[in-house]
Amino acid sequence: MAYSDKVIDHYNHPRNVGSLPKEDPNVGTGLVGAPECGDVMKLQMKINPETQVIEEAKFKTFGCGSAIASSSLATEWVKGKTVEEALAIKNTDIVRELSLPPVKIHCSVLAEDAIKAAIGDWKRKKGDTTPAAQTTTTHG
Amino acid sequence: MSTTQARVAADPTCWSCGAATGGEHFCPACGKLQPLPRGTDYFALFGLTRKLCLDAAELEKRFHQLSWKLHPDNFVRAGEYERELSLDRASQLNDAYRVLRDPISRVEYLLAREGMRKEGEHKQQAPPELLEEIFELNEWLDELRIARQTSSNGEMMALRGKLEAARKNFEEKLRAVDAELDGVFGQWDAALDAGADDAARKKLMTRMNELLNRRSYIRNLAANVQKELAEA
Repeated sequence: MAYSDKVIDHYNHPRNVGSLPKEDPNVGTGLVGAPECGDVMKLQMKINPETQVIEEAKFKTFGCGSAIASSSLATEWVKGKTVEEALAIKNTDIVRELSLPPVKIHCSVLAEDAIKAAIGDWKRKKGDTTPAAQTTTTHG
Repeated sequence: MSTTQARVAADPTCWSCGAATGGEHFCPACGKLQPLPRGTDYFALFGLTRKLCLDAAELEKRFHQLSWKLHPDNFVRAGEYERELSLDRASQLNDAYRVLRDPISRVEYLLAREGMRKEGEHKQQAPPELLEEIFELNEWLDELRIARQTSSNGEMMALRGKLEAARKNFEEKLRAVDAELDGVFGQWDAALDAGADDAARKKLMTRMNELLNRRSYIRNLAANVQKELAEA
């Protein structure tokens, strides 16, 4: 299967690889996975509690090129967005941007889940118990 | 599970003479080969219940007996419909045997039939502890991988040792999962024998699903470390 140029670009030059301090009250961590293909994806964001703006985003993904590209793109997209705006990102946006083939759509779903899980974690730290959205996966 | 067989044996009739077939492979009245009754699962095809501790020798015996009976060579002088039927049935039989022979594909098949495991469609969920553990193991393997790329010849020996240790570690984890799966298989069979209710069966299937997810992660890690070793 041939990867699109954009996937290859993100794979070779992943943006925002790394991690943020998990204990920081302004950092939300989302850890999600797809056991079928062995992928694990960690996405973290530092959110300004006053403005709700995502100031920093980091990821680390173990998985295929599409999973890495999807999470790399997700960190690029959420940076500078508000929490509300980030929650509006759909996996189909990622599919379109990266021209993912049908067999790789689950990678984009994983990235969307990771965004929601990270924001959910941050909200929980803030003492907000309402779920960020319909998160189907877990967070660390 | 007896309900499966009861459902299969409900009321299929022979396509040729119209007699009740009782779900048999061949019509008891005219002896013509029958299509597989709707809803027959791979277990029922072999006349088995949905138990997971399968006797491999017994399964093989039933497979050989059936493939001998269903073999297209037996139908060269039969009508076109029966000839095609024998081709279909023989290939179904091979599929069924391939799936049931392997304990992992067997349990995956069972869970899929029970609506507990939908590959592709519904992604599998993994508990946070498992994801944490797998993430850490991946990071550890990643460190070894980076060290391999940057180390001198002298350091390679030590690194190989670490990779070997990682491989052993993953293989042990894999064996532990398999042993645990075996245990749950036994509980599942006992639950079927005892006519356990849906809730009890669902609990066991959920556990099997979790173990399969864990197994799939660890198998992946083991394959990765194997690849590193091959290149080291």
